[in-house]
Amino acid sequence: MKPRKTGRGPATEPRASARGHTPRASGKRPTTTTSTTTTTLVELVVNGAKVEVPVEATDRLLDVLRGPLGLTGTKEGCGAGECGACTVLVDGRAVNACLYPAREIEGRAVTTIEGLGEPSGALSDVQQAFVERGAIQCGFCSPGMILAATALLAEHPEPTDEQIRDGLVGNLCRCTGYVQIVEAVRTAAARRAGGGTR
Amino acid sequence: MTARRHIGKATPRPDGPDKAAGRALYIHDLARPGMLYGKVKFSEHAHARIRSIDTAAAERVRGVRAVLTARNTPELRFGFLRDNLVLKRDKVRQFRDEVAAVAAVDPEAAAEAVDRIRVEYEPLAGVFTPEEALRDGAPLVHEADPQGRPRRDNRVPLRFHHESGDLAAAERASRHVVEGTFSTPRIQQGCMGTAGCIAEFDRRGHLTIWAKTQIPFLAQRDFTRFLADLGLGERDVRVIVPTLGGAFGSGLDTHAYEYLAILLAWKAGRAVKIVYTREEEFACLSPRQCTVTRIAQGCDAEGRLTFRRVDVLQDNGAYTSWGATYPSVMMVPVTSLYRVPAVHFDAQIVYTNNTYCQAMRGYGNPEVNWAIESNLDDLAHAAGIDPLEVRLRNCNEPGEVTPMGLKVGTCGLRECLERTAARLDWPARRAGPSKPVAGVGTGKRRGLGLASLCHVGGSGRIYRSDASGVVLRLDDFGFVHAHYGGVEMGQGLHSVLTLAVAEALGVRPEKVIVGPTDTAHCPWDVGTHASRGAFMACTAVLRAADELRRRIFELARAAYPAEAEAALARHRRRDPEYRPPDFDVAEAARSGTFELQDGFLFLREAPPEPWLRVELARFLRAVHFREGGEMLSAESFVDPPTQLPDFERGFGNLSAAYAYGTQGAEVEVDEETGEVRVLRLVAVHDVGAVLNPQTLAGQMYGALAQGLGYALYEEVLSERGRILNPDFRDYKLPTAHELGMPIELEFVEPDEPAGPFGAKGVGESGLVPTAPAIANAIHDAVGVRLYDLPLRPERVLEALRKRRV
Amino acid sequence: MTRAAAGVPRCAPRGKRGAVATSGFAYHRPTTLREAWRLLAEHPGAALLAGGTDLLVRIRARELQPSAVVSLRSIPELAGAAAERGGGLRLGAATPVADLLRRATVVRRYPLLAQALRVMASPQIRNVATLGGNLCNASPCADTAPPLLAYEARVELRSARGRRELPLEEFFRGPGTTARRASEILTAVRLPAPPPGARVLFHKQRRVHLDLALASVAVLLRLQGTTCRRARLAAGSVGPTPLRLRAVERFLEGRILTEEVAVEAGRLAATAVSPITDLRSTADWRRRIVEVRVRRALVELAGLERAGGAP
Repeated sequence: MKPRKTGRGPATEPRASARGHTPRASGKRPTTTTSTTTTTLVELVVNGAKVEVPVEATDRLLDVLRGPLGLTGTKEGCGAGECGACTVLVDGRAVNACLYPAREIEGRAVTTIEGLGEPSGALSDVQQAFVERGAIQCGFCSPGMILAATALLAEHPEPTDEQIRDGLVGNLCRCTGYVQIVEAVRTAAARRAGGGTR
Repeated sequence: MTARRHIGKATPRPDGPDKAAGRALYIHDLARPGMLYGKVKFSEHAHARIRSIDTAAAERVRGVRAVLTARNTPELRFGFLRDNLVLKRDKVRQFRDEVAAVAAVDPEAAAEAVDRIRVEYEPLAGVFTPEEALRDGAPLVHEADPQGRPRRDNRVPLRFHHESGDLAAAERASRHVVEGTFSTPRIQQGCMGTAGCIAEFDRRGHLTIWAKTQIPFLAQRDFTRFLADLGLGERDVRVIVPTLGGAFGSGLDTHAYEYLAILLAWKAGRAVKIVYTREEEFACLSPRQCTVTRIAQGCDAEGRLTFRRVDVLQDNGAYTSWGATYPSVMMVPVTSLYRVPAVHFDAQIVYTNNTYCQAMRGYGNPEVNWAIESNLDDLAHAAGIDPLEVRLRNCNEPGEVTPMGLKVGTCGLRECLERTAARLDWPARRAGPSKPVAGVGTGKRRGLGLASLCHVGGSGRIYRSDASGVVLRLDDFGFVHAHYGGVEMGQGLHSVLTLAVAEALGVRPEKVIVGPTDTAHCPWDVGTHASRGAFMACTAVLRAADELRRRIFELARAAYPAEAEAALARHRRRDPEYRPPDFDVAEAARSGTFELQDGFLFLREAPPEPWLRVELARFLRAVHFREGGEMLSAESFVDPPTQLPDFERGFGNLSAAYAYGTQGAEVEVDEETGEVRVLRLVAVHDVGAVLNPQTLAGQMYGALAQGLGYALYEEVLSERGRILNPDFRDYKLPTAHELGMPIELEFVEPDEPAGPFGAKGVGESGLVPTAPAIANAIHDAVGVRLYDLPLRPERVLEALRKRRV
Repeated sequence: MTRAAAGVPRCAPRGKRGAVATSGFAYHRPTTLREAWRLLAEHPGAALLAGGTDLLVRIRARELQPSAVVSLRSIPELAGAAAERGGGLRLGAATPVADLLRRATVVRRYPLLAQALRVMASPQIRNVATLGGNLCNASPCADTAPPLLAYEARVELRSARGRRELPLEEFFRGPGTTARRASEILTAVRLPAPPPGARVLFHKQRRVHLDLALASVAVLLRLQGTTCRRARLAAGSVGPTPLRLRAVERFLEGRILTEEVAVEAGRLAATAVSPITDLRSTADWRRRIVEVRVRRALVELAGLERAGGAP
């Protein structure tokens, strides 16, 4: 499948449209707020690059990613750690970005969906398997699901079906019934093991 | 006909890579310059008079740009019966009623302002069940109708009724009659992406709204009317649908939050975005309708159905959505699932002070299928005939016309039943009594059950138009740009649209680009509902592609020879020794038959020389960049041969084709705890021809998961109108583990003449019979009949206790 | 994936520590207990944050409005696990659940705890949520509580003034309330040496796999032949706090385990609990679950189903 748009800049890039009318992705929120706030600058590594971002006490990692960093691939599905749509990796481990205090991200390495795959735009093996196996429908759960699967495969390179389901239990999907998602994870695992497709 | 090159082959979807990469943009990801954030103040009572609303403190919050209440806004109505107000003026009728709305520079300021709005209420007695609401002297949810005429009771003025055959005589003549009352709960559509929109006026006063909708054009109509009501006539409304994040029926109506975003945008002169939190999605977006169905069915000594009587009571909630018309679809299975000579159907839709309900996948069909298929098993037991056998004896057949006047084209129901039974090893397994599971004190028994469905499979006319259109535009590079007004909500519409264009036109799928759904660019479409997306898109594509091919071949008569000669010249530069065959290209082009395949234009009779296969892109440039040049595009607009039924009489051929299917389940019931474990699911569906096996399987698995949730886990709980479980903590969606049982899918593929490539619509079928199949398996295992969904262990255990008494 | 994770220091609050006034509260990240105590003293009404998986949501929902948040995530002595004299194990209260599951000592020596940790919430939450946080929330449905009660764990509470230890059973006071004083920090959970040869089973009753416990049962048995030498049972979600089922323990100890004894133990368990009806389930059903699951656990642990001759 030929990618429609090349380049992998942040999702904040404005996109062309006939009427110049397509909204840009949400960037940094306007800073006028209701009460006096002081922000702390927090340094972290996001998808391999060191960044410094202003953080408020109530901010979650999710707010930092989707706000100032413009990484809207991380989705907010519930804001309570119950759906997994905001799953990202912190130092290689899957966490809910909606539960992670932004202040605690200082000095840590975060991988978001934008950080998977190659800078050239090639998808990671897990992303590729999701695409090939029909594991994506509306796609809202997909970034979190793919990151959860990525963490799962790092821990269990040759997972049983039970382990796959355990690894994905924190990620809800309303579209797929999970069947093709589990197949995709199996496929990615089999390919890593050198077994080709399965 | 040549073999199909793309249709029918498992193909990954075109929107997959961007979604996998996190690059797809949902409403949550979009922003406009200077955009404000809107927030709604919802009612704190199920039924109360509004005494006063004080917004002074809210207006003082820094960053607030607009505060709206009914006090500073004209009375603006919306909804299927226009019984809903965008901002409530005198009273609130449900907990989620909109009493005020705020726009501010950031979400925090908007939230704070909403918190500071003080509303004084005078609580009123409410009605929270249809039965309560129908009692004499019950408090009225609406004292007057939208025209201001007083109402006498809480009945919603929508009538759905059907009578056929001589019911009384049939009932008397029945050897066996079984009755039952079955209920279904409110269900959350459970979109992973919550509801939201962005509204913005340009400086000419035209409105653009990015809306999470399944009905961009009916929404455009609603919003246009709304602007007119607001005194803003003659404005263009453009609806753009972002990547959707799931819909499942929640996008079949326009919603108060959309009107509020428009009002706030108008008032503030800036774009306004409203996105629901998950809690708001649960508590303030309409769930699936909640029903109680009384049913009786009878049969003769041989198990042939004699009559079916179905009365549905539907809890509408406080306002009326499109989803109130569930009975229009209920009529399909009630009159036409299995052959029934005499049918009575009536639906009573009742206002209550509960959250108002709307559409969800299946649209009434699962609600009555639950009753029909559960009750039919009981009838089979009463008659002493195997439940499979009863279904086979009453099976629908191709070509029949049903009591509702449905003209059944192809019908694979018999095969669905037989194959499901074969997979379950039904005859052998059902022969004896249910088998306890080995082990001391396990108290577990296993059983098998099945249930079938029929549903609209060839669009469905529930509106004056049932149309869809497509524009196919060829560019200079051989790409085909398809603009379709229906909505890709995850189901794979763009996948089949791509394959259909490739197949019908003769290009590679990689060269097909499906544009965004945008009322400014796409032909009118009634909406993506009733399993009609793929059916209508492919039908429209077939017509447009046909026209394009005709025009390409027409132009080719004159333009092809020069392109072939140029290709020959290029070929000769690479291979100077090359000797072309003796073939008069110009002559062949004048009289021969052209073909377009995989993006190459050629003459069917021509020798297989590669240079005679002209690249479509070169050909398109040749006919474009010349005097009197031409660019090729085609638009088709298809209104299918469906009838808008007379719903008060319950008659009319709603759809151009009908989909069937049977599902089977094997369950294990723990008699000590009431827990039900589904060990296996079988789904055999008549889908017509398969368009893309991969997306079809995705639709079926996903629907089965929703069917499983409907059967066992899901329910929006409420107490006197207040939603008690507005989160995934207490509203349980199945996880990957719950779908860990073996699931077998099989497709029966009659070539449906009304369908594009022989296909039927099947987006909803998969969740319709899951619950009764499971309940029938429970009955097989432990001998209890369950009447209320979901089949929670507490309920199953209660039923088991009663059985023992 | 590994690209991003490579070469990053694990725990490195650099420089910008300390108080920052924000909308409503200040967020503190002390690196020593001493500093944390000082902050608690300075900010009456401060909330302690360990994993934060629960706290942040509640603050954002305005259920809680603490004057300050004191994060315990950068205090090294609160993390990890260490063997103790006498064969016990000391678990740092702020250790993420997933880290505990990666420790062979926890998984091998305290399998009942491991069983419960594995079904607690989701992998994402287990990577962040801590044992101490789970206990301090004092939810009746806390997954870690029944196994810890069965192991007769003790909690260590430290303040600037000193240190005290309580049996976990005395730590829970009611839904959401514990014996922890505002000046104290739950620093560790101390597990005594596990009884040798104990057989254990944790059952979490849930609707779907990602769920809070509707009822849970932890059973620890030491048998000598068929005689029960030691029984420790606890249950969750069936009372205002997680409960030790002492009556059942007394009944079982010294008895020969038969099917009849298991049945009776189940009955006793059902009378020992005091579940309520709420939107998640009914009191009746929860009681039934305790009865059935205790009985079945005993049958399974004592191998009675094999004795019964079933295949």
